This record gives sequence, structure tokens and C-alpha cells, in this order.
Amino acid sequence: MKFSSYLKDKAYSFIIFIVVFTLLILLLTSFKTSSQAIIAFSLIFITFYLTLLLIDFFRKRNYYTQLIQNVENLDKSYLVLETLNKPTFYEGLILDRALYQINKSMLEQIRIFENQVHNFKDYIEMWIHEIKIPVTSLTLMSYNHKELSDQKTLEQLKKIESYIEQVLFYVRSENAENDYLIKPVNLDQIIASVALKNKNDFFANKIEFISKKNNVQVYTDAKWLEFILGQIINNSIKYHRKIKNSYIKTTINVEEAKTILTIEDNGIGIAEHDIPRIFLKSFTGENGRASSSSTGMGLYISKSLCDKLGHSIYVESKKGQYTRISIEFSNNKYYEVTK
Amino acid sequence: MKKILIIEDDESICNELQALLKGAAYDAIILTDFLDPLGFIEKVNPDLILLDINIPYMNGEMVLQKIRSTNDVPIIMVTSCNSETDEVLSYSYGADDYITKPYNPHILLLRIAAIFKRMDHSSEVISYKNIKINIQKGIIYNDQTSIILTKNEMIIFSYLLNNQNRIVEREELMTNLWDNFEYINDNALTVNISRLRSKLKELGLASSIETRKGIGYILS
Repeated sequence: MKFSSYLKDKAYSFIIFIVVFTLLILLLTSFKTSSQAIIAFSLIFITFYLTLLLIDFFRKRNYYTQLIQNVENLDKSYLVLETLNKPTFYEGLILDRALYQINKSMLEQIRIFENQVHNFKDYIEMWIHEIKIPVTSLTLMSYNHKELSDQKTLEQLKKIESYIEQVLFYVRSENAENDYLIKPVNLDQIIASVALKNKNDFFANKIEFISKKNNVQVYTDAKWLEFILGQIINNSIKYHRKIKNSYIKTTINVEEAKTILTIEDNGIGIAEHDIPRIFLKSFTGENGRASSSSTGMGLYISKSLCDKLGHSIYVESKKGQYTRISIEFSNNKYYEVTK
Repeated sequence: MKKILIIEDDESICNELQALLKGAAYDAIILTDFLDPLGFIEKVNPDLILLDINIPYMNGEMVLQKIRSTNDVPIIMVTSCNSETDEVLSYSYGADDYITKPYNPHILLLRIAAIFKRMDHSSEVISYKNIKINIQKGIIYNDQTSIILTKNEMIIFSYLLNNQNRIVEREELMTNLWDNFEYINDNALTVNISRLRSKLKELGLASSIETRKGIGYILS
């Protein structure tokens, strides 16, 4: 709080003071008061006025300066009231009271929304459990009654399943309070279960899947990693090139501080200008626009899951040649759990 | 015949699951009394239980704990809850395996077979007709000769052995191979089977693996 600004604000009182002061001087002069008396009177009068101003200024200055500073410095400025002493002057008390009420009603409003989001999330999770029952039933039926259904039915079922998973993990990635559990996970197991899920797509598209057993463990949530890997491999299948030796390959590199899982394909690749944006929400890029079934959500969700788990994920690619997506796991389990 | 109890409240899944298990030569029983699952288990005395988590009256995890306090029958949790927490919890209550819906039916059968195999404390050496099979060492032999099988050939042969006298689909063999980290393609499977056949022939077992066109193979 600046004194000059304060004075500007008090301009009206200053003008009244000048007018009253001039009138008084004129009055005193017209009564032929001695000049010494007028000077003494003026000094007392001016001192009185200034003291009044200064006392008022200092009473307010402490409170407002702190208010302004704390609002600027706090990263959650709505908590500012908690950092201030109660003001000792009337205006301040009004402000304090009003801020308190505003805060409270805002928090109530946020709580309502939080509850709504929470309930919605619960409902979606429950719905996902429900929808999985008929999907399971249908899958079993198509295996049991091969005469009624063929590979195409299973393909469509697999698509339904994968969209359901995407919704589930989207909900989880947006509101992950306690949905994940980090423990040592064998990468071979995760790779095998993702590979098995996509086995028939590899065959149908004549893609060779290359992966060696490594017996490497990383600290992660197995279910989340399986989803992430599933998204990456789905993309590799979707954007493969129809060439003779089309492949998808996983490799694992164990370094001192980190373990890197790389998924490489020799598919259509990603245009250079699209690479920095492939993890953005709803981004489909050149490749996505060319195929109708791209939602731009898979990699976005994967990236936010990786962020939550403390893994980094990055992509290297050359249009028309290859795409390599790598996930880096830190080998220090304590580091991983900090989030 | 191994008896498998299905604890699952969706009727359609129950029936399909029963059909699937019967097709794989298991005796499948469906739990009907959800009020007293433990009594029912005692009555039918199953060799394995497939247990869902979301079931009426008592949650599957509770049922699991209750069963475990009296009985060590193998239990596979089959559920639509796919969070790591649920899985770890189930294992800590004593589940033997955890499979999430929707699952690949062949994988379910593989997991069931794996548990029965683990329980079967029989020796590493299995015999078939006049030959003996040592799975660990990867060899098959009779009195005169012994032949080394590759890992893939052994996976195929032991799967056929475990499912003798029924038609094994190519798809099942493939699933089993991929489940064992052998990511081979359709041609490679054909090659592996014909190599396995010729190795069996060397031991005097020509034409023991019959092809059922369009379906799969059967080890007679």
C-alpha cells in the first residue's frame, strides 16, 4: 500500500480541509486576530489533520500490504485469509468477513462439483463392470458355437473390449487417487498378455511379433502398464505398412539407473511436425486423419498414466520407415512411489 | 474327471462357461445357492473353483477367505474388477490365479490346466504308449533311442498329451505357445507340428497326431 496512492484516494478530504482552512484563516483575519495567533492556529490545525491521516494510513497499511503480498505469493491464493491477522479497523473487518463468506460459498460450490465428478466416475466404473458381463458372455458364446460366429465376430468383440478399457483408464487417469499399486512386475508377462490379446490381429495383418524373454522386473502398476502397452501396439498394428517383412518388436534395455522398454515397428511412421504433439488430447495428426477410427485418446491417456506412475514415455519416428516408442522405468523404487 | 465349480451370478456366462469346460473334458457344476456357498462346496467337493467377486449376498473376496479357512481347493478368481489392488488382495486371501473379464476362453483353460498340473505331483517323466517324455530335459525316448525336442515342439506335444482323445484346435496350440513367450506364426506352427510328427515317427509312433481338417489335431 503506497502513501501516494492513499493520498490520491483521500483527495476529497484534502480539498475539504483546504476549503475549511482557507475559510477559517479568512474569518480569523477579518476578526483582526494577530498574525502570531493565526500561524500558531494554522500549525496546530495542519498537524492535527496530518496526524489523523497518518494514523489512519498506518492502521490500514499493515493489513493491506500483507493481503496484497500474500495473494501474489501464494500458489493457492484462495487460502490467503488463513495467512492474515485479523484487521483492527472497521473497513478491514467488513472485507475480512466478506472474503470469508465468499470463500466458503465457493468451496461449497466446488464440493458439489467434486461430488458430481466422483459420482460420475463411480457410475462409469460400475457401468464398465456391468458391460463386461455381456461382453464376456458373447466371447464365450462365439468360442462355444463356432458354427454361429466366426473370426469377424471376435474381432468386433475385441474392439468393443478395447474401447471399454479406454474409457476405464481415461476415468482412472483423470481421477487417480488410489487406483494404482506399484510393485515389481515382470515385463515378459505384460508383453505376453498384450501380445496374446492382439495375436489374431498380427496374423490377419501378416505382422511378425518379435520379443525375447528377458526376465526383467520394473516397478509399476501391472494393469496400467498393460493398458499403455496395448495402446502402443494397437497403434503399431493400425499404422503398419503392407510390406513383406512388417514387424513389431519389443526390446528391453537395463541401465544402471533406469530400464527402458522400447516398442519398434516398421510401419508408416509419423510426420516430423506431428511428433511433438502425438501425446496431446484428441490429436490425430496426418495418420489419424487418414483413418476414420482414430480418436486421439490412446496415447494421451497413456502419457498421463505414465506421468502418474513416474515413467517417461517418448517417441522417435521417421515417416515411411519406423516408429519407436520407449517407456523409461526408474530402477529406484522409492523414487517411483513418491508421486 | 476333474470337477470344477462355477461361482458366478450371470446365468448366460454360467451356461457358456459350463459348455466350455465340458468341451475341455471337465465336469462343471454351477453354484445355485448363493446364501450358503460353503455348504454347497462341501457337498460337491470340487477339484477347482472359478470364483467371481461380484456375487449376491457375500462378496467373492469374503467367500474366498471363508473357503480358505477350512479348505485348500485351488481357486481362480474370474472377475471384471481389473485393478491391481483387487488382484493383490485376492492373492493375499489365498487365490491361486486371477483372471479378468472379458477373458480369452483358451487362456482360462490354460490357467486351469496349469493349476491341475502343479497339483499333480507326479514325476517329471510322463509316458505315452511305448515312449517316455521328460519335459524338463526336453527329450522323448524309448528303450533304444532318445530324441531332443525343441522348446516349441515340447510345448505342443505336452499340450496334446494333456488333452488326449479330444480335438485340439490350432488356435489353442497357438495361444499356449504365445502364453509361453514363443511368438510364432501360423506357418511356423505347421512346421513345428510336422517336425514333431517325424520325430515321433523315429520312435515308431507314426500317425499318432492326426489332423482334423479345418479344426485341429488329435493325439490318439
